[in-house]
Amino acid sequence: MATQKGKNRRREKNEYFFDYSLLFLLLFLLVFGMVMIYSASSYEAFQAYGDAAFYFKKQLVAVAVGLVGMVIASRIPQIWLRYVAYISYLVSALLILLVLTPLGVESHGARRWIGIPGTSFNLQPAEVAKISVILVCALLLSNIKGDVKKWKYWFGMMAVPLPLAAEIFFVTRNLSSAIIVVAIGWVMVFISSPTFLRYAVMVISAGAVAAVVIRMAVSSGGDGNFRFGRIVAWLNPEADSQGTGFQTVQGLYAIGSGGVWGKGLGESIQKLDFVPEAQNDMIFSIICEELGLFGGGAVMILFIMLLWRMMRIASNARDNFSALVVSGVMAHIAVQAVLNIAVVTNTIPNTGVSLPFISYGGSSVVFLLAEMGLVFGVAGKIVKREMN
Amino acid sequence: MLFQNKVYHRRNLLIFYLLCFGAFLGLFVRLAYIMVCEGDYYSERATDLHERERSIKADRGLILDRNGKVLAGNKSVCTVSVVHSQISDPEEVIRVLCEHLDLSEEYVRKRVEKYSSMERIKSNVDIETGDRIRELKLDGVKVDEDYKRYYPYGSLASKVLGFTGSDNQGILGLEVKYDSYLKGEPGKILTVTDAKGLEVDGISERRIEPVSGSVLYTGLDINIQAYATQIAYQVMESKQADSVSIIVMNPQNGEIMAMVDVPEYDLNNPYALPEEPGSEELTAEQKQECLNRVWRNSCINDTYEPGSVFKIITAAAGLETGVVTCDSRFYCPGYIVVDDRKIRCHKTQGHGSEDFVLGTMNSCNPVFINVGLSLGIDRYYEYFEKFGLLKKTGVDLPGEAGTIMHKKDNMGNVELATVAFGQSFQITPMQMLTTAASLVNGGKRVTPHIGVKTVDQNSQETVLSDGEGERILSEETSETLRGILEQVVSEGTGKNGKVEGYLVGGKTATSQTLPRGSGRYIASFLGFAPADNPQVMAIAIVNNPKGVYYGGQVAAPVVRQLFENILPYMGIQEYNQ
Repeated sequence: MATQKGKNRRREKNEYFFDYSLLFLLLFLLVFGMVMIYSASSYEAFQAYGDAAFYFKKQLVAVAVGLVGMVIASRIPQIWLRYVAYISYLVSALLILLVLTPLGVESHGARRWIGIPGTSFNLQPAEVAKISVILVCALLLSNIKGDVKKWKYWFGMMAVPLPLAAEIFFVTRNLSSAIIVVAIGWVMVFISSPTFLRYAVMVISAGAVAAVVIRMAVSSGGDGNFRFGRIVAWLNPEADSQGTGFQTVQGLYAIGSGGVWGKGLGESIQKLDFVPEAQNDMIFSIICEELGLFGGGAVMILFIMLLWRMMRIASNARDNFSALVVSGVMAHIAVQAVLNIAVVTNTIPNTGVSLPFISYGGSSVVFLLAEMGLVFGVAGKIVKREMN
Repeated sequence: MLFQNKVYHRRNLLIFYLLCFGAFLGLFVRLAYIMVCEGDYYSERATDLHERERSIKADRGLILDRNGKVLAGNKSVCTVSVVHSQISDPEEVIRVLCEHLDLSEEYVRKRVEKYSSMERIKSNVDIETGDRIRELKLDGVKVDEDYKRYYPYGSLASKVLGFTGSDNQGILGLEVKYDSYLKGEPGKILTVTDAKGLEVDGISERRIEPVSGSVLYTGLDINIQAYATQIAYQVMESKQADSVSIIVMNPQNGEIMAMVDVPEYDLNNPYALPEEPGSEELTAEQKQECLNRVWRNSCINDTYEPGSVFKIITAAAGLETGVVTCDSRFYCPGYIVVDDRKIRCHKTQGHGSEDFVLGTMNSCNPVFINVGLSLGIDRYYEYFEKFGLLKKTGVDLPGEAGTIMHKKDNMGNVELATVAFGQSFQITPMQMLTTAASLVNGGKRVTPHIGVKTVDQNSQETVLSDGEGERILSEETSETLRGILEQVVSEGTGKNGKVEGYLVGGKTATSQTLPRGSGRYIASFLGFAPADNPQVMAIAIVNNPKGVYYGGQVAAPVVRQLFENILPYMGIQEYNQ
């Protein structure tokens, strides 16, 4: 008996932390996402490909690959990550340029993908860019530590994600991914900064710039520039419900017809070709239509809990680098989830952001899972009794 | 060092986390606002977008005669269509449809093989054929029931009833006048479709039941109508007239029992052109013109010079004002000079000395010209207006023509003189009958009407006839007038209108149609019975008869024949019983 007790105590002492709740939340989101992808896409998939599970199957393969990637990523020694950080930055910069070569794949009127030779899968280099920005920023910030408050370092750090973001914006014409890349980097700089004021100034000036842009867009009437057009459509989506406002209005119809409890899983009408990209960027509107405010709220709560777990891991990480990697992943997921739901509810102008773990999209889910693998890797190094 | 940095991490991580939390909270509020506050708006818009309507025709209300006989009903017909995607044996479908619907194979094949959601093969298929096709249970063949307006009596009362169009909407006659009552409210079948408009299986249809149209009860009597039509055709044939109109009315309340305007047309096939040489080569416009002529109801759509029948009005005005009494003496030399014009009497050698009653019996023009002149333009015009002649009668049929009359300022004695015996102005036969009825019924203006009441599907009644009309003539004058008109029939120009055993009052007229000297005449007779208490009044107008054209010879016998039959039928007792 006594030895048994002693064994237990010893095990507790040396036991490493494994975040089961984070794993559970992640798996729940993934399974839920698969169910919703099937629900949202089966009608259109059957019509387009004669196979209701067409998108579901492709996503299933991506999730499987991603889970394997996650396990691998969780076991990569930190030292390797440090070495790989700069390389990944350069690789993603090159991958984005590859889009311009014959390997580039055009879809939905944009050239954002690289075909993976020999498979029917495409890679979105912007997703690689996100993970590389996380690694590079984590590495640099953990090296300069508190010096980040010095203006020289601060400006240097703030500039780190910009080349990739510029590439994404100018090469693949993907504003939202560029914004996300920048946001990830800047959030990481903020998290490692002892200073505060400059961020407040940034937020205020960003608000002022946004107000000016909106005024310009409104006075231009939305003509000429398609981004201005989207701002005008955002303010009054129903004015041009067949044109620029179409996706937004269809999404709002879906959300609005959900009510508190929704129509029931699989009962969405708006997914019958009304909402464009129902399984993709607009999947949250289908969730709301089928599962109601309850379902939409539940998804938000899942994300809030997921972020909470990641914050706990980052706070307890054994070293700065690990903490910043987890912070970066957290920033990535948080920014994307908030932007996606904000777009779908027409809280901000329409821009293509997918909902992490739920939206259809292979590259997105594979790299998100790889990032989650890094998080689990960090979590695994935390000794349980050191947790606070 | 490491520990210090960790503090910033923790603090800033928490700030970032709280910002995200706040963002999610804000988005949740936004979501709740869309889903709860604006939910009704968006879901309504979404439902509008998803649902395709198929309407269910409402049963059109029946039109009944006074005995409850159906004058206009509905016949079930079928529409046969094919749904391309559901056809399993196209050859069999083509063969069966060709055989049963009597269509060419080429026609059916084209439709069966056409890729469309639903293709109509044939509509207005009779119900037996539709049932036979349905019993074969062929995949992809749909037989939908439908209604079609049906008129059991064919052409009977065609000018009154009118007909309906392809959407069951009233086009002419009562069908259009009472369309709002008859048409009902169509129902809807709402089906959910995807963005391309394809129906989605497994979602139940919503049905909004149709509201049947109200039943229209009319004062028409199909037996009187049928008999009046028969004798109208007889006289049209024997006198080779262009057309014959007969209206039978209850002078006490204005209820019309029959309205005939031969030639009539087949209500079940209203677009058939009369068989005339050359009618095949008509242009569409000419065809329409021709049809409009065929559909025209001259009882109300056309005006005519009423001629001597109008002397009833002059007599009533004269008697009412006292410028003339029954005993007033007149002398007719065969003409009368008014201002510088010599106006002839129809009897060129003159009627000689006569009192007013005899003058009326003779239908002597100088007598009535004298009465008119004694009244003077002002008073005559006043009575013309008071009797309701300047207004329309208000009959419940569309397209009633108005009176064409001199402007008062343009009226001189010559015009007054001609108006006094019914010339130089035009009214509709309906107006003539209505005014005469109002003068002999005791002096109250009636509004002629065919519709009596409507009853909707919940047995809710709506009475259509207006109440009692205003008094336009005193009881006494009305009675005197009845007496005089009775004598016109018993011993005067209207004696061909006499009916054995009944007191009939009436007045004949022979009017020349314009332009004068064309040799075209209108013979007419207005009669009522019993003369002392009129229960029925009829006007017969024979348009352009060949040979003898006098109203007393041509039109009076028409009314006599009619009365001989309908008075006993209506249960009006002979005076000696």
